[in-house]
Amino acid sequence: MNILEIQNLKKYFATQKAVDDISMNIEQGSIFGLLGPNGAGKTTLIRMITGIFYPDSGNILLKGKKFDAENDAKFIGYMPEERGLYKKMKIGEQALYLARLKGMSKSHAQEKIKEWFKRLEMENWWNKKVEDLSKGMGQKLQFVITVLHEPSLIILDEPFSGLDPVNANLIKDEIFRLAQNGTTIIFSTHRMEQVEEICNHIVLVNKGKKILDGTVDEVKQDFKENLFGIQLENVPEGIKSNAFDVTGVQNKNIIVKINEGYKPNDVLNHFISNGSNIVSFREMLPSLNDIFIKLVEGTPAARQFEKIPD
Amino acid sequence: MNKIILIIQREFLTRVRKRTFIIGTILFPVLYIGLIFGTGYIANKTKQNLKIALIDHSGLFNTERVNSVNGNDTISTFKLIPVTQEQQIMAAYDSSGFDGYIVIPASFTWRTGTDSLRVNSKKSFGNSALDPVEKKINLVWNKVKHDSLGIDLSKEAILDKSVSLKLNNEKDKTADAGVATIIGYVCGFLMYFILLLYGSQVMMGVTEEKTSRIAEVVVSSVKPFQLMIGKIVGIGMVALTQFLIWIACIFIIYNVGKTSGNNSSSASFAMVGQIQHVFTSVNVPLVIGCFIFYLLAGFFFYSSLYAAIGSAINEDMREAQSLSFPITMLIIFSIALMTPAIANPSSSIAVWASIIPFSSPIVMMARIPFGVPNTVPLWQLGLSMGLLVGGFMCTTWFAARIYRTGILMYGKKPSWKEMIKWAFRK
Repeated sequence: MNILEIQNLKKYFATQKAVDDISMNIEQGSIFGLLGPNGAGKTTLIRMITGIFYPDSGNILLKGKKFDAENDAKFIGYMPEERGLYKKMKIGEQALYLARLKGMSKSHAQEKIKEWFKRLEMENWWNKKVEDLSKGMGQKLQFVITVLHEPSLIILDEPFSGLDPVNANLIKDEIFRLAQNGTTIIFSTHRMEQVEEICNHIVLVNKGKKILDGTVDEVKQDFKENLFGIQLENVPEGIKSNAFDVTGVQNKNIIVKINEGYKPNDVLNHFISNGSNIVSFREMLPSLNDIFIKLVEGTPAARQFEKIPD
Repeated sequence: MNKIILIIQREFLTRVRKRTFIIGTILFPVLYIGLIFGTGYIANKTKQNLKIALIDHSGLFNTERVNSVNGNDTISTFKLIPVTQEQQIMAAYDSSGFDGYIVIPASFTWRTGTDSLRVNSKKSFGNSALDPVEKKINLVWNKVKHDSLGIDLSKEAILDKSVSLKLNNEKDKTADAGVATIIGYVCGFLMYFILLLYGSQVMMGVTEEKTSRIAEVVVSSVKPFQLMIGKIVGIGMVALTQFLIWIACIFIIYNVGKTSGNNSSSASFAMVGQIQHVFTSVNVPLVIGCFIFYLLAGFFFYSSLYAAIGSAINEDMREAQSLSFPITMLIIFSIALMTPAIANPSSSIAVWASIIPFSSPIVMMARIPFGVPNTVPLWQLGLSMGLLVGGFMCTTWFAARIYRTGILMYGKKPSWKEMIKWAFRK
């Protein structure tokens, strides 16, 4: 089931087509990676999904119904890239206030805050002020505030920036736990290794348009270059075969590119038949980082201003 | 609706619980009264005591006459110098303790006097210093005239008698223009301070929410309009609370003074008498009621504009100053209109300034103590209130449209022109 469907969404600003006809579906319970270079239109897209901006045209369907910013706010939890909290307000009161703005009752909110503070070892924070917190601590608090009202869709914009590995793992585990319980998570980032680790499904946007959409495995398969790595006990001299080309040798590891019409078995057969002892053989899929760079490369690092006719 | 109440609550409680609110509530009236009495005290203190040497060639200014007027006040003292010492005094009057000297020529007669006399001094004096000296010289001459005409002390007393004029307002028997003027000034200035202080609080609050990026989190739960209105109403309630605390304090002082001071002639009794006089000559409940109305409506009118500016600026407070200048000017201009309005509360400038929305909160509050419906007819009050409500609805609408764009817009400071463009975009 799709929790969120986006259909032909457009948002033009005075000097930019921030989001230019993007469609996508997000399945319930998935961890969805929204990727793209700076200024690609990710934030604008997210702001439309969270009801901060109205789209110029197109539809957003939440749980199959047209998205209504005012009433659907309680289903969505949004953690923006630039963290925002009242600096002078006590942490407990602040969490309570923001949860109640999402429509929670006071007692329910209080109960949930205590539960989360306990889980993330923040129990003695209640009466501290935000200005007393370190950046990482603020990050944890912001995460709790985002998930407190048990939203069915959580949007996290760069959630790990500023967190040490221990706390990053803590948050990562919480994200997995929430997804297991059926919460859908949209995860916006530039950090590809995190995406590979966490996300099931990814969408890449650039210059306001969607340029890639699929599961992490599908995408990798689509972009694979038929590269395989073989480790041999002894690397023979002058490897030559019609089935493949050697693209790199390092110690006892050989990287081969299989030619059109041949299969991995042909590679193995070649080495078995010439008497080499094979230690390991594996497919080498491109990393998301490589795919990202390949797709985005060549477009200017920052988007240029353009004239939008009214 | 529920969410707006939550926002109002937060804005109100976080401000009222702050120590600065309590200190401000106590300190403001103290400073305000201190300012009024302090300037009066300083003005009194700086009055000069002039010592003037009189050198009389006419023979009319004898010691007895001069000394009799010296007792009138302490602002100046005359000392008659014998003509024989004239040269000496003229050369060294300042080293002998005089501020100046006056030579009365021999041509000075009791009938015609002389055209003018000259005070010779090495300093310069303002009119407030010279007027009493002039008065005293004439008093001495009067004594000369009386003696020459044969008018003795009893006849003099008859001549000195004068009658004072008081306005009897036939429609409003208890009206007292003096009290109304004071109450008018107090109301006008209080309104001015509240609009400026709390207006800029709204502006800073909005900017704080924008720069700390909390606005983005909150706006994903509530509409920008709700956030703006919540802030404005919350801070408006703080202003109202402060005002009500002051009113309550005045009533408590009045009542305590009345019970404890009734049988004594202490200072508190005098104060109670003063307040009682205010109560009889000014319709106090009406003034307080109108003040609350104009406080809230005027605050909404201006603070929504301040909120729009707060949403447009970034961290730099200089941006805030240059953008809010036109709005602050409107408030200052209203105070400038208030002075002529109090001097003549029925003049056309007073009437119009108290009806047009931007100046009406201050100018109307300055006029109301003069009496409704005599000085301020009911139609004027009604029209002024109606226009102000319409006015704040317009400014709120206008501000909300700037606000919703500005609050999420980072980077360059927009100009007024750009902000107006935001307001009228679909």
